Amino acid sequence: MSTTKNDDVTINNVDLGRKPSVWEVLSSEKYFKWMLIIPLLLVLLVFMIYPLIYSIFNSFFDADLSGRVAVGLKNYKDMLRDTDFWIPLRRTAVVTVVCIVSEILIGLGIATLWNRNFKGENVIRGLILLPLLVAPLILSIVWNFLLEYDIGFINQFLAAIGIGRVKWWAPSGALFTICGITVWQWFPFSASVLLAGLKSLPKDTFEAAQVDGAKGWQVFRKLTLPMLTPLIMIIVLLRTMWLIRLFDPLYGTTRGAVNTELLDWMVYRTSFVYFDVGYGSTLAIMSLYLTIIIAALMYRQLIKALDASK
Amino acid sequence: MYNKDSIGKRIAFWIITAIILLVVLGPLLWVYLTAFKPAQDIFTGQLSQQFMFTPTLENFDRLFNQFPFFQNLLNTLIVSVVSTIFVMIIAVPAAYSFARWNTGGGHLLFVTISTRMFPAVVAALPFFIVFRNLGLLDTRTALVLLYMYFNVSFATFLLYGFFRDVPAELEQAALIDGYGRFNIFRRIVIPLILPGIATTSVFCLIWSWNEFLFAFLFTRNAAKTVTVLISSFWGSIDIQYGTMAAGAAISILPTLIAAWFMQRYIVRGLTFGAVKG
Repeated sequence: MSTTKNDDVTINNVDLGRKPSVWEVLSSEKYFKWMLIIPLLLVLLVFMIYPLIYSIFNSFFDADLSGRVAVGLKNYKDMLRDTDFWIPLRRTAVVTVVCIVSEILIGLGIATLWNRNFKGENVIRGLILLPLLVAPLILSIVWNFLLEYDIGFINQFLAAIGIGRVKWWAPSGALFTICGITVWQWFPFSASVLLAGLKSLPKDTFEAAQVDGAKGWQVFRKLTLPMLTPLIMIIVLLRTMWLIRLFDPLYGTTRGAVNTELLDWMVYRTSFVYFDVGYGSTLAIMSLYLTIIIAALMYRQLIKALDASK
Repeated sequence: MYNKDSIGKRIAFWIITAIILLVVLGPLLWVYLTAFKPAQDIFTGQLSQQFMFTPTLENFDRLFNQFPFFQNLLNTLIVSVVSTIFVMIIAVPAAYSFARWNTGGGHLLFVTISTRMFPAVVAALPFFIVFRNLGLLDTRTALVLLYMYFNVSFATFLLYGFFRDVPAELEQAALIDGYGRFNIFRRIVIPLILPGIATTSVFCLIWSWNEFLFAFLFTRNAAKTVTVLISSFWGSIDIQYGTMAAGAAISILPTLIAAWFMQRYIVRGLTFGAVKG
């Protein structure tokens, strides 16, 4: 390979008149952008690629913490036959749908209510954001306390106003109690996103619609909702990714008992309570595939919605 | 147009708004109410006693004297701060590279963000085995490394949004003046996105502060964090609600204060910058 003298000495169009130092080469136009991301790539390689390959590898073994025996696809076959796998999977789907639908409906309601100028607007919009950054584990323990049958405040209040005590942690309803706690923490998120969306919509379009005699519901359905669709898609996408691996609220309340075991709790129990490393890895990989498939499908919808709104 | 609302409509508006605030803030206020409540009033069946009681500091006293609360608080603080520093050292240059040159043609950025879809449990088991072999279980080092991995993709993506707002013209002007790329980055670009760096850092701090699963799996005593201690109050034979509330009251205070000052950025942060609330 022939290099001209000029190539060696020109960095950032400055003629140095000598051989450039390593530092000068690295911070040159050509290499600088790569130098900047090397640390990130190293971290991803070590902390993402390694566990992924290790888990896939382990899923073909019957393994615990002391040793392993190769078993081929046995873990995957076991999983497909295991009702202990399908039931948590179905529960996870139920929780995801119930939570997202509730959060968006409540969020839409609040966003519509607050889409106006009122006194203390900024303070109130700020106050509802507070639970979003508090540890979900701590909030779920607090809720567990509030919902206690005898001494919990909620039941005492319900008894006092004549509704009577509710068995919040009964096997038939505990899953929905967990949904309730999750919705409580996250409806401020969808409310804030949708309110930000409503506030940024062009006012003249709505005035024009009103002049044309459109009724409230028609305006909402034909005008507001289509314009909010990309934001709703973003909420659905993010919330699905987070809800598939709901863990903290389970630990803070039922600990997977009374019909509330979800997918990631099952992974945790298999891997860290029974130390069945092989099967635990198989379940973990399934949980990952599921997230990726759903995220990819929704990502495509989101791109479509974003294009359509332009 | 809103001033035309009738009195009835306005009253309804404020009643609903008050209910929303009560629902959202009630449980948070309850934590502080319970933290100052004497034990006999916590375990009462009387509704009136839930509000009428003589405030006491006995819960805080027990928390600090019978439990390693101070040590756990210190662990949480050290782990959060150190991991956040590492995250920023890695994420700031990477985000700049992605924003200015679209390094890797968008694919690398997608790989980066996809780590955020990664279930923590997938990573937990391999790390558990590696850390056990390296003797890192129950150390703050282990948590620092895990939280670095946990937050770095999010931080890169959020910073990417901030870097994209920096006009490239400024850098081109500096290039013509003979500045090297590194000096432009250090002297011109970084000062311009300091607010972005601050915002991202606070998010990383809060998430490390709140994290439970890794802390629970990877620590026993020495490196235990506050969330793990608080989780241990429930599930024991006699549930220490008062002590738990006192611990929660202290540990959520920094996040509540941060949340208040960060309101402008919370929506932007949680949507990875997709929505500029």
